[in-house]
Amino acid sequence: MKQFKLLLRSPWFVFGAAMFLFCIFVGVLYPMFSHTDPLLRGALPFEGPSPDHWLGTNGEGQDMFSALLFGLRSSLFVGIAAGIFATIIGTIIGIVGGYKGGWVDNVLTLVTNLFMVIPSILVLILIANSIEKRSMLLVAFIIGATTWPWTARAVSAQTSSLKNREHVSLAKLNGYGIISILCMQILPYIMSYVFMVFIIQMATGILEEAAISMMGLGPYDSVTLGQIINQAQKTEAFSNGNWWAFMPATVLITALQFSLYVVNTSMEGVFNPRLRKES
Amino acid sequence: MADAKTISDPSKVLLTVNNLGVHYKTRFGHTVQAVDGVSFSLAQGKVFGIAGESGCGKSTLVNGVMSLFIPPLFYSYGSVVVDGDDITKYDSEKLRVDILGKKISMIPQGALNSLNPTRKVKHFATDVMRNHEKNLSKAEIYERLEERFEAIGLDPRVLNMYPLELSGGMKQRVVIGISTLMNPHVVIADEPTSALDVSTQKSVIRMLLDLMERKIFGSMIFITHELPLLYHVADDIAVMYKGKFVEVGESDQVIFRPKHEYSKQLMEAITKLSTTGERHSEGARL
Amino acid sequence: MVTFVVAISLNFILPRLGHSNPVDTIMRKVHTPGMTSKEYKKRYEEFMVKFGLMDENGKKTTIVRQFFSYVGTTLKGDLGVSFTKYPKSVWDILKTALPWSLWLQIPSIVIGYILGNILGALAAYKRGIYDKVFYPLSLFLMSVPYFCLGIVLVYIFGISLEIFPPSGGYAMDMMPSFSFAFFASVLYHYILPFMTMVLVFIGGQAIGMRSMSIYELGTDYVKYAKMLGIKERTIVMYVIRNAMLPQLTGLALALGFAIGGALLIEIVFSYPGVGLALYTAILEMDYPVIQAGILIVTVSLLAMNFIIDILIGLLDPRVRISHESRVE
Repeated sequence: MKQFKLLLRSPWFVFGAAMFLFCIFVGVLYPMFSHTDPLLRGALPFEGPSPDHWLGTNGEGQDMFSALLFGLRSSLFVGIAAGIFATIIGTIIGIVGGYKGGWVDNVLTLVTNLFMVIPSILVLILIANSIEKRSMLLVAFIIGATTWPWTARAVSAQTSSLKNREHVSLAKLNGYGIISILCMQILPYIMSYVFMVFIIQMATGILEEAAISMMGLGPYDSVTLGQIINQAQKTEAFSNGNWWAFMPATVLITALQFSLYVVNTSMEGVFNPRLRKES
Repeated sequence: MADAKTISDPSKVLLTVNNLGVHYKTRFGHTVQAVDGVSFSLAQGKVFGIAGESGCGKSTLVNGVMSLFIPPLFYSYGSVVVDGDDITKYDSEKLRVDILGKKISMIPQGALNSLNPTRKVKHFATDVMRNHEKNLSKAEIYERLEERFEAIGLDPRVLNMYPLELSGGMKQRVVIGISTLMNPHVVIADEPTSALDVSTQKSVIRMLLDLMERKIFGSMIFITHELPLLYHVADDIAVMYKGKFVEVGESDQVIFRPKHEYSKQLMEAITKLSTTGERHSEGARL
Repeated sequence: MVTFVVAISLNFILPRLGHSNPVDTIMRKVHTPGMTSKEYKKRYEEFMVKFGLMDENGKKTTIVRQFFSYVGTTLKGDLGVSFTKYPKSVWDILKTALPWSLWLQIPSIVIGYILGNILGALAAYKRGIYDKVFYPLSLFLMSVPYFCLGIVLVYIFGISLEIFPPSGGYAMDMMPSFSFAFFASVLYHYILPFMTMVLVFIGGQAIGMRSMSIYELGTDYVKYAKMLGIKERTIVMYVIRNAMLPQLTGLALALGFAIGGALLIEIVFSYPGVGLALYTAILEMDYPVIQAGILIVTVSLLAMNFIIDILIGLLDPRVRISHESRVE
């Protein structure tokens, strides 16, 4: 908690967190901002911004502003869910490997390295390509299942340096089972680290979702920011210069990424004093 | 190497520090006087011991004597005279070429990390030499390095190795070798034995004293927090506290008949520890 | 090696998790009106055999068999035949795309790496105002997704200002040849995608190098070197060399993202590389091309990782020596 107060003092953190939270806020309360159904093909296609349609319309006459908000919400959902999946999987693998050591660790490290080298995008393409009913949750799960190695490695390193501490040995001597040791002795100490990693995983989740949506393999049950861009590309909005069809989505994705990275960097500055700037 | 004439004159004063003051500025703009009015002088063949706890200003004093005033460290007042010149007035380039590593040289605390891990010993030593004596061919340099290392009892094969491959004691000796390459007038040994076990400590001290006797370097300032250690090493001792020398005198006197309250406490605290055999440091307070 | 095996297996297994029979897709293409159902069945079976889904006796082959024949033919270099562009072979389609992709990826990664590390080291060394401006800027560049920056650049420079061409590898009215005009056109079309890759990559490298350099600058050996009067410049060289080594390891990891990013950039810029080919193949459900495309990308990634591993072993004495004994 002390550290949290320190964080609040850092201008970076405030800026990044504010930006990100604002996006979430807009995404969640979206219905309040716009009453237009984003899927309604009511208007003329490719019209520029106007009082009726704040951000114009896309190639199929759909209102871009509400599409954008809806897309924001979906992208956030997938990204955050993916981040949660990745963090959970990675943390479990990392903790078990780091704590157990020995052959368990070796095997897990091998698996981790394996997954790390194969770029997640490719696996995503393969998987998404073969599954037709791609719900948002499923996509999020797939993303989480391909991006966890990073977390696993980081958590494993932290855990193995922690496992030799006194309080852990003490718990062992007192006969506590392994699960309770992992939960009570190790987890609390790596929490701040896990949180930092979670931030990055969220960013990665949002990015990967946008990436496969760009390839045309995004979730089929909603509109996401990546899909908005993909659609714009397919309907030649790029070459026609209809910036409202793809720019806002692009900017939004970038803003989400940037704000998350800023938050992460500021947390690093607080939790890892070595990197703190000298006067 | 350096000129042997000045060094072989037994009574010659090599270094005079006159009322030196060094301060540093904190992040919030406060000024801390880390060294306050320190004076002493060093003659050929003499060892000056400085004892004090962590935080008393010993390391800052080292920077001050070498006149390495790098922010947030700043020069306040006083002078450091070597070969007739006040080096506090030198610009950094002159300081680097003439003084650092050449006339005044330092042996750092914890030599374990003082050597560049990705550079072979001989390359690092070459860098040092090249910076003070240009126009030497690689072959000449290597020859002199081999000679010197053998002369001080180091297996010259060490030259071709990386720091990784050497043990702690070995590294310390290599560092001593490199620091004394240019036959400095003054060698400042900053806690040279803290990170070592007792037997290695003794051999390092013996090596240093031996080198001084052989005129490989002129005189030594030996800094430590273990006052009793200085008995075997120093001719004169100063006790440092909060940036000032609270007591200065011959080693016999300071150790066995300390005059200042703090020195007494320092000696007492340490003697107490050595009788109980405990190994954690306990400070004395004024 | 193990990675390679796993990659191939995944490459084989995953597409087949879906239930569509690829031969159906082909049949749709080959089907001509007026074909009798008997002829249809015959053709169907022909294709099934051809694609290894059925052996000559009309029985469906097992998955295991299919797998082994897949591995066998792939290793021989036969990547199969395209479904949608039948009868064009997959290799034909991809072999023109591969050079374009490599030409986009490799120079930008190399240049991005060198420039990024230099800038990062400078920022760590100089500090002050330079750092205060530089740091947020490179953080931003690092976090911008590759294709997002691509879109922004294409819009600003390609469409609005019309300084650079917005798409293609070369002008549409040109045929590939060894003429100067062709090369000029290639370069002209190269600039935007190249800049996109390089800028984002520099961002990431610079941030990493800056942290590493800050760390190295505070080490004991730097202090000692200074105390011995070693030139500033030499010390900076020490720091850069020592900070580069962990950076190389980081490079291996960043490569995965960079290559992924490059593929997406190809889509944005309609650049004729493997990325664009994959994209088209996905749209058309052309499985062999998808599979082969992924295989090629994975292989090139593994190859690059391998090269980097060798480089690290050569350049870092710490790695080389860790197995040898110490001198007492």
